Parts: sequence; C-alpha cells; structure tokens
Amino acid sequence: MTELLQLEFMRIALVIAVLIGLTAPAVGTFIVQRRLALLGDGIGHIALTGIGLGLLTGTSPVLGALVVSALGAVVIEVLRARSRTGGDVALAILFYGGLAGGVLLTNMQGGGTSMQSYLFGSISSVTVSDLYVIAALAAAVLVIVLLFGRELFLLCQDEEVARASGLPTRFLSLLIAITAAVTVVIAMRAIGLLLVSALMIVPVAAAQQLTRGFRATMLLAMVIGVLSAVSGLVGSFEYDLTPGPSIVMVTLAVFVLAVVGGALTRRRAHRAPAEKVEVEAAQA
Amino acid sequence: MTTGDPFTMTGGRVRLEGREVLRGIDLRVATGDMLAVLGPNGSGKSTLIRALLGLVPLAGGRTEIYGVRPARFRDWHRVGYVPQRLTVGGGVPATVREVVASGRVARQSRWRPSSRADRAWVDRALAAVDLTDRARDPAQELSGGQQQRVLIARALAGEPDVLVMDEPTAGVDTGNQETLAATLAGLVEDGRTVVLVAHELGPLEPLITRSVVLEHGRVVHEGTPPPPEGECAKPGHDHVHPHEAADPPAPLRSWSIGA
Ligand SMILES: Nc1ncnc2c1ncn2[C@@H]1O[C@H](COP(=O)(O)OP(=O)(O)OP(=O)(O)O)[C@@H](O)[C@H]1O
Ligand SMILES: [Mg+2]
Repeated sequence: MTELLQLEFMRIALVIAVLIGLTAPAVGTFIVQRRLALLGDGIGHIALTGIGLGLLTGTSPVLGALVVSALGAVVIEVLRARSRTGGDVALAILFYGGLAGGVLLTNMQGGGTSMQSYLFGSISSVTVSDLYVIAALAAAVLVIVLLFGRELFLLCQDEEVARASGLPTRFLSLLIAITAAVTVVIAMRAIGLLLVSALMIVPVAAAQQLTRGFRATMLLAMVIGVLSAVSGLVGSFEYDLTPGPSIVMVTLAVFVLAVVGGALTRRRAHRAPAEKVEVEAAQA
Repeated sequence: MTTGDPFTMTGGRVRLEGREVLRGIDLRVATGDMLAVLGPNGSGKSTLIRALLGLVPLAGGRTEIYGVRPARFRDWHRVGYVPQRLTVGGGVPATVREVVASGRVARQSRWRPSSRADRAWVDRALAAVDLTDRARDPAQELSGGQQQRVLIARALAGEPDVLVMDEPTAGVDTGNQETLAATLAGLVEDGRTVVLVAHELGPLEPLITRSVVLEHGRVVHEGTPPPPEGECAKPGHDHVHPHEAADPPAPLRSWSIGA
C-alpha cells in the first residue's frame, strides 16, 4: 500500500476513487428514489456524443461530455415530465442516439482507441489538472445534495405533494438531472461511461438491504461506494486488471453479501417475537 | 399573509387528454368549513381537488387560493395535501418519521437544519395518527391503511390552515377513522379548514358542514345537510339546498351516491 502511494498517478487515482465513491451513490440514492435507475446509463451514452464532439473539434472531450450530457439530462427530464409513461422510451431513444453519435463522431476523427478509454475508463491517465476539475465538480455535487437534500427527498418521493408544498419542482427536477450528468462526467475517466451508472445504483441497492431509512441508505451507500472504489482500484493494480470493471465487480460482490446479510437479519427479526411468545406460553 | 377564502373557483373547466373532466365548477370554500366532495368513480373529485391546488391547469374559468391564483400563490405552508395514493411510494426505503417530516418542507429554510419545533410538530403528527411506535420503521413495510395514515400525518406536520385530503379514509379501519375525526374536529375548532373526498364518510359524517356531489364533472348537488338517499341522489336532480346557519347539519346514515 505504501508502495502504491509513492506513485503519483496512484495517489491521484486514489483521490478520484474516493470522490467518485462519495458522489455517485449520493446522487444515485435520489435517482433510485425517483425510480429512474437507468438515468445514469442514458446520460452515459449521451456523453459519448459529447466526447466525440470534443475530439472532433479538438477541444476538451471532458468539456464536451459535460455540456452534451447536461443538455441530454435536461432533454430526458423534459420528456419524463411530459410523457405519461415515465419516459423510459424517451430514455431508450437517447441511449441509442448518444451511442451511435459518439461512435460515428470519433470514427470521423479516427480516434477509436481513445474512445475505448472513455467507454471503459483509464484512471492511470488522469493528470493533476484533471484532478482539480473532478474535485471541484464533486464538491459542487455534495454541496447540492446537502443544501437541497430535504427538497429533493420530497420531490423524488411524491412530486405532486412537492408542488403543493410550493417547491420549485421544475428547477429541482433539472437540478437532479444535471447533477447526475455532472456525476457521470466525474466518474467517466475512472470507471468508463458504460459502467458509471453501476456505481450510482449498485451501492444504493446494496445499502437498502440493510437499512430502514433514506438518510441511512444514502450514508451507507456512500461508505460502500468509497470502499469498493478504493479496494477495486488497489486490487486492479495488484493483479493488473482494468480498474473500472474491477471497481464495479467489487460493488456487485458487496451487493450479493448485503442481500444475504439482509435476508438473515430479517429472518432473525421475524423469529425473535415468535420465540418470545413461545417462551411466554411455556411460562404460563 | 394573504386574506380571503381558502378556495374560490368560478366556472372551473379542466380538459385532460382532450376530454372535458370538469365542466364549469363554481365552488367557494370558506374558513372553518369542513367540506365533503362526493360522487361516483371518475366523476372528477380528484381532478377538482388538484385543480383547486393548481396541480392541473384550468382550460377555462379561474381559481384562487386565499385570494391568489395558484401560479402566484406563495404561502404554501398554509396548505396541506393528502393525495389519493395506495402506498407511500419511493424506490428507497424511508422511515415513517422521514416521510412525515418531509411535510414540513414549506416551513423550513434550505439554509438551516431541522429545529426543535420541527421535530415537535412531527411528533404531534405521528401521535395524531397513532404511529409513534412505528416512527423508525420503513414506511413501505406498513400496511395499506397505515401508509395512508403516514400520508395524513405528513400533511398534518406542516400545521396547515387548510387541509385538502383525497380519500383519506380509504383502507383505514373504524378505530383510526374515529381518531382522524377527532383530529379534524380539533383543527376546525382552531379555525382551520378541511376539504375532503370520501366514498364512505363513516365517523367523519357528523363533522361535515357542507358537501358537494360531482357527477360527470359537474356539481349536481351542493348544500347542508348532505343529500339523503332517494330523490336528491338521482342523476338529473339538480338543485342547491339553501344555506341556513341556524340549521344544524343533520347526521346522515347511508351514503350511496350515483349507485
Ligand atoms: N391524467 C389523466 N389523463 C387523462 N384523463 C384523466 C387523468 N386523470 C383523470 N382522468 C379522467 O378524468 C376523469 C375524472 O378522474 P378523477 O380522478 O378526478 O375521478 P375521481 O372522481 O377522483 O374518481 P375516484 O373515485 O375513482 O377517485 C376520469 O374519467 C379519468 O379517466
Ligand atoms: Mg379520485
């Protein structure tokens, strides 16, 4: 471990892993609450077009991804609010459009290999200046969650009651969509666009096996996120694996453990009162 | 603070997906009223409630909350809303307490954490629906009637001046309907206002000061006392009972409207 810390790229990668581990599940908790688990995937696909545009125009692919995925998130939100089906068809259409657009644009530019690194991540290529951008974005995401958490909770729980409470529901809906887009861009260098969404959703799914409340779920998901991101990264370095998929495999393993652990504790909780009744009956 | 009646709708029309769901509703809800909105399934009761709150746009006519159009209304902390839901909802577990506490959002500042007063009101709301001992349980794991009571508590926690409830007693047992009736009686005594939709008024019946009956998006009956079964309940029987304050609302036994 100390050896690893002596490598500069590894220090950067570890900081990024912690930032992703904190932000992705925090935003993911609201997204799961809102039953939009595939939103991150949709945004990830759209971000590809942004990267393609960034590469083609010779500007920054990260900037391209940020702008295009934020726009895509707004479009998804508008379609969701307008359509009665909840917009899953709209999401699917944007998925395919984003993916096809991204691949076409990068091929025009001739950058097939760099596309690979965005699809599956390449954390070792992150520079110090990338790190500053990622840290600033992550701080913004966490501040938004802290500041608007109460309102976002009600919005994602019951949009109509949120409106009847005078909350700016349209603004908050856009805020959560854009925050998700920013989170995708934060995580894309390390995890890759195709797997970003896993770190938004899987830690939340794991946490809710063990928790009873919303706040507890979010905090536990963030703990799981950080632990999986760091251990996945270190493990991938030790065994010479790709970091993104390694991190996702660790979160999936945690999820499986949580399902088993949750089932066991629930069974015990159910059995406890029954045993008490039996004891009381025996005493009577 | 705005003055005026809690709700005034004149000539309210609502179209949903091209269908005329409300066809010219005139309704005034005065402070201290306990108004029951009655009518068969699909008659437009929920739509009327949502239009009063500005949740569906009007295709014609106008509606005001405390004298202000919904789009310009700012005192949302005065309004509590219990929507017609089967369950609490949400894809992540939330404790009963978390859901109830979210009813205070209109009274809280983004920049401050919850205060002691906030917590005290949440405690009161939980006690009012008799769910204090379930406060730490996930709301989604409660029974249907219990979840309905969580939604009522969420609205109560915001200390609303006017409480709007869409079928609050659906799935709630008689004992808990009586508890709700006692809570609502206390609110109205405090000078607050209640608008509720119900199919079975049950223990709430003696509290109702006015009622309107909807059918096909129109008010087919309005007044005190509510229409007895028989002639008044027939479709096409369209008159308004005179309001006479001296007349105590007569208790009613059965309520099968539009059947
Ligand atoms: N979102 C919607 N889009 C289109 N039509 C709708 C929508 N919501 C309600 N309607 C229609 O409006 C009419 C009135 O519906 P509403 O929900 O107001 O009835 P209700 O009186 O509350 O019935 P219930 O007793 O079943 O709750 C129904 O015919 C319904 O089909
Ligand atoms: Mg209804």
